[in-house]
Amino acid sequence: MNGRRRVMATVGILALGSLLAAGVLEARVQEATQPSVKPGPAAAPGQETSAAPRPAKERMAVYVLLAWVWFSIAVLLGVLRMRVREADRVHRMGLSRAAGKAPKGPGH
Amino acid sequence: MNVVRAWIEERLGLRAVTAFLEKKEVPRHKHTFLYYTGSSILLFLGIQIFTGVLLAFYYQPTLAEANASVVRIMTEMPLGWLVRSVHSWSATFMIALVFVHLLGIAFTKAYRKPREATWLTGVLLMGLSLAFGFTGYLLPWDELSLAATKVGTNLPKALPVIGTWLTQVMRAGEDVTGDTLSRFFTVHVSVLPLAVLAILGMHLFLVQRHGMSVPLEEERRKVKGPVLPFWPNFAFREAGVWLVLLGLLLTIAVLSAPGIGPQADLMAPAPEGIQPEWYFLFMFQTLKLFPARVLGLNGELVAVLIMMAGMAALLLLPFIDNRPFERKGKVITLLAWAGLAYALGMSIWSLL
Amino acid sequence: MKLPSSLFSRRAFLNGLIGGWLAALGAAFIGPLLKYIVPPTREPDQVSVPLEEFKDLAPHTVKGFSWGNKPGLLKKTEEGEYIAFVGVCTHLDCNVAFVAEQRRFYCACHEGWYDENGLNVAGPPPAPLRRLAVSIEGDALIIKKRV
Repeated sequence: MNGRRRVMATVGILALGSLLAAGVLEARVQEATQPSVKPGPAAAPGQETSAAPRPAKERMAVYVLLAWVWFSIAVLLGVLRMRVREADRVHRMGLSRAAGKAPKGPGH
Repeated sequence: MNVVRAWIEERLGLRAVTAFLEKKEVPRHKHTFLYYTGSSILLFLGIQIFTGVLLAFYYQPTLAEANASVVRIMTEMPLGWLVRSVHSWSATFMIALVFVHLLGIAFTKAYRKPREATWLTGVLLMGLSLAFGFTGYLLPWDELSLAATKVGTNLPKALPVIGTWLTQVMRAGEDVTGDTLSRFFTVHVSVLPLAVLAILGMHLFLVQRHGMSVPLEEERRKVKGPVLPFWPNFAFREAGVWLVLLGLLLTIAVLSAPGIGPQADLMAPAPEGIQPEWYFLFMFQTLKLFPARVLGLNGELVAVLIMMAGMAALLLLPFIDNRPFERKGKVITLLAWAGLAYALGMSIWSLL
Repeated sequence: MKLPSSLFSRRAFLNGLIGGWLAALGAAFIGPLLKYIVPPTREPDQVSVPLEEFKDLAPHTVKGFSWGNKPGLLKKTEEGEYIAFVGVCTHLDCNVAFVAEQRRFYCACHEGWYDENGLNVAGPPPAPLRRLAVSIEGDALIIKKRV
């Protein structure tokens, strides 16, 4: 594996790990906020429950999750682009077209 | 790993499917981007099923508990508000894409022979998607959804002979009641999903059978145009499109989560500013504009009949537009543009 | 150290990276998803019942109260102290009943028996009935989880 790919792999693993950690932390935040009273608009009967009342800590966690989602989408788009270029390169080489024309080996 | 693969191959014989996907070709031309619309609809359908199941874990479809259970999902269940928000926004994304898909097919005349059956199943699927939206809208059982459902289920009454009966079938009786809620819930989570899966199966089979349609200029060329193999070239591009769509969905679901109004009261007067979902706005506005009597007939009846005629025309478009690239086809294209402009104009007007 | 040839193809590497990263993206959602699917426990930390209702409880008799979603059972001892149990059989979660004539708790599901102090005496229950701590505060009985 050449240097560039090694760097990519390291960055990838670091980011993967932190993504997992973010998910675990997020889950813990959810758990922590459950038993406590949620600081948010409490719905009086007859009043409208406003859009998605949610506790402040959870809101922060969701924004972090959103940032991670966009970051990993960016990374994935980059890798997908590489993969697509690879696939296009192979397609242009015409391997599948050539497969039919390949001469059979001895003994056939 | 290869042992497992061989085991599966011997029993299921999926090699036929993967071989087909590798051979399947996607034509490359300036309208290739339209090919992404169909599968994107499938993505959002999958999301709807997934989030729908999650919501159904805690939703209670009874008169007494429906609204309260939705409030509970939004306030007590971890990220429940997000599950609901994604479900609501994904419905909008999916139906918007259905319209884009329809327009793409209609304007490239991809419904021409031999793809008429594909078009028919497609229009049916659009109807089912709208039915999903309509039935789902009632489930939170708040003031707005009750009012919208009362209006919507009132429409068939205008039809002669079967109208009243049809309304009673939809409402489970004369009026919108708890029975209506149960009926809409059952239709939303059982009847429609089964129907969609069956017709979607047909639609997908037909698409694979006939291959991807190309614009007429491409078809008329002597030499075959450039193509992409579906797997892996097109599929990985599609994956990229899906990822971006998912990101957009999640972002808007987080930043603009829907609330819920107070519980519906069957005896209370209608609230101000009732509105159906955006995809019904143009019909809503049309109905508002129709005078009470037209040429001696009930105004609403005329409006409903015109709408039904429009739907029939849409359904039978491949048979009406059977010479799509001659003058007849060009006239129909113009009418389609006019129809689109009407729908857009009416929708925007109803919001003003 | 430079290898003479690659250990795996560019395609395999990219496929692996895509698959791995997708898995990580999905993993970020698994935690919250599981929290949603298993809702927060609804057993209360403590319950308050008016003393009035239980003041005149005769010894060796039992009166029920609500312990969240489960039945609670309150009993007065000879000395006039209150003891409280969670009225759920420790075998397979059926609700138990107090048989006054025998001064025992009975679980009808598999004929389990507990004595009047909650100790499992006959049948399949593997453990005594869960005890709760009772204290009197003003005009209310406070029933708490035992620490």
